[in-house]
Amino acid sequence: MEDLCNSSMRFFSDQHLCFADIIPPSEVRARIEVAVLNFLRILTSPAPAISDLPLILVQEKRVTQRELFYKLLCDSPDYFTSQLQVNRTIQDVVALLRCSRFSLGIMASSRGLVAGRLLLQEPNEEVVDCSACGSSGHAISGDLNLLEKLILKTDARYIIVVEKHAIFQRLAEDRIFNQIPSILITAKGYPDIATRFLLHRLSRAFPDLPILALVDWNPAGLAILCTFKFGSIGMGLEAYRYACNVKWLGLRGNDLQLIPEQSMVPLKQRDLQIATSLMSSEFLQENYREELAVMVQLGQRVEIEALYFHGYGYLGKYIAKKIVQANYI
Amino acid sequence: MEGNRGSSQRCALLRKIKEFTRAIVQDLSIGRSPIVLIDRFRVHCTNPQANCCCSSVLPNGKEILTLQRENHVHRLDVLLRVLLIVQQLLQENRHGSKRDIYYMHPSVFSEQSVVDRAINDICILMQCSRHNLNVVSVGNGLVMGWIRFLEGGRKFDCINRPNTAHPIPVQVEEVKDIVSVADYILVVEKESGKRLSRYPHQKQMAYDAKQLRCPEVCWLGVFPSDSEKYCLPQQCFLPLTAEDKKKAETMLNRCYLQREVPRWRLELELMLQRGVKFEIEALSVHSLSFLSKEYITSKIQGGVHI
Repeated sequence: MEDLCNSSMRFFSDQHLCFADIIPPSEVRARIEVAVLNFLRILTSPAPAISDLPLILVQEKRVTQRELFYKLLCDSPDYFTSQLQVNRTIQDVVALLRCSRFSLGIMASSRGLVAGRLLLQEPNEEVVDCSACGSSGHAISGDLNLLEKLILKTDARYIIVVEKHAIFQRLAEDRIFNQIPSILITAKGYPDIATRFLLHRLSRAFPDLPILALVDWNPAGLAILCTFKFGSIGMGLEAYRYACNVKWLGLRGNDLQLIPEQSMVPLKQRDLQIATSLMSSEFLQENYREELAVMVQLGQRVEIEALYFHGYGYLGKYIAKKIVQANYI
Repeated sequence: MEGNRGSSQRCALLRKIKEFTRAIVQDLSIGRSPIVLIDRFRVHCTNPQANCCCSSVLPNGKEILTLQRENHVHRLDVLLRVLLIVQQLLQENRHGSKRDIYYMHPSVFSEQSVVDRAINDICILMQCSRHNLNVVSVGNGLVMGWIRFLEGGRKFDCINRPNTAHPIPVQVEEVKDIVSVADYILVVEKESGKRLSRYPHQKQMAYDAKQLRCPEVCWLGVFPSDSEKYCLPQQCFLPLTAEDKKKAETMLNRCYLQREVPRWRLELELMLQRGVKFEIEALSVHSLSFLSKEYITSKIQGGVHI
């Protein structure tokens, strides 16, 4: 087993600029067979990891990474002992076959919601008006094929990406998108691929719409913004596929004057870890780096809800003022 | 868009709030300290014989708050401030969360738990649920299957879109015209669509408990005893963490577990004894469709739920 790991066979996940295609199941099977044959030529023992996927694809079913973990745990206990190992192997398979995880039949649920001045239509289905979806918004499907086929129409002037579900709900309830013609979108935390996919589609379909992010003033909030903006490093080859030009609307350092001191909360250990990791990233632009430095120096963070100190209506006014002044970076 | 039921409920509550406040002001104007009586509820205790009088419906004594005691003064101050915010929410028919309310007066409230207690007190005083006060949290639930309903003028048609999970609307009280042809309701723990949950444990939310708990819920699975019946491979078992064990022990101490669902108690004891747990996803080891085609079907048809 040691030899296997140290062998000269390096997988391609180190290469950043490859492309992972979206291809139909039959082609994935063909690529798997070719890859396995090549693989077998190098090693004497069979490659158990990939062998299950063709079966799943033939049935045209989908499997979650957790289910795959259990299957591998039982079929190949010598090779797999943790979810992390399975996830890394999947990334290697993605690199080997040069196709997306979704094409491999691996499903992830979508957490995203969208609301506002957007009309969505699946081919031959009813049009969904996202401004009439109530405060819960419209759930973004986890099916990337479906999202790809959606017909999109809008009269919005901005796209507002919201970090937290609670804030999204507030803005949707207040119908902010009628005061500032906009589309609201949230992944309820760390962005999942379906939400990023939809945002990416919106940015390509409506390239004149600035994409503005509303996140908490803390390293985790900035990390979420960066994930939408640059991609998810944990996704290996698929990292950069759905990156969008997102601007930081708020909360930012110059908003701290609006917040009473008691509303600040000390940074946790986890926040500091995230800050260090972000600082070391070569992608981080200078002005974001400065904001991060202030957070760490103060040792404090601020949630968007702190703005409610000025009343419930204040959040809408804050956003409107910032947009009108083009106060985003 | 509002149902008439919602607005009349809100009006009734606003009247109650006015009455409550007027009584306090009246007392103060004649130099008398107002007395605020708050029912105490005990939903569960750790009585092993389970011959206690714990109930989520009947009160178990009263708390008496007066302005004559200093620690009560702060508590009443907090309660009245929260009440003012709640009144505003109801008047504007807006919804807010407990967190939002905290941030409105962070220096007075000093921490979230203070706000949470005030909201519970108000619920008990007004004899209503948190939802009635327009204090909500984010909606986490999803629903799919053979059901259709209306909420705030919007149609939720799960029957025509069988593969989509629809978010459950936040304003649950506005839901009406529920139409369903289902034989069963499956409550699932995880979004991956595959686990069943036990009925929610409410600690201090007495009136919420009345609307939220569902005593008819049966536990379909997964049981520790299922692992033998369905030939689950040894590798699928994960060891119980220290936190798991603590949680299990706390639950085993709860009086209602013995009184109302003794068979659940047995399964929990078995889990603790074996020291292992397993996830629903493990059932997919034999085949992806095993869970839906065989496990759930055989359990429902066999009436194997506790």
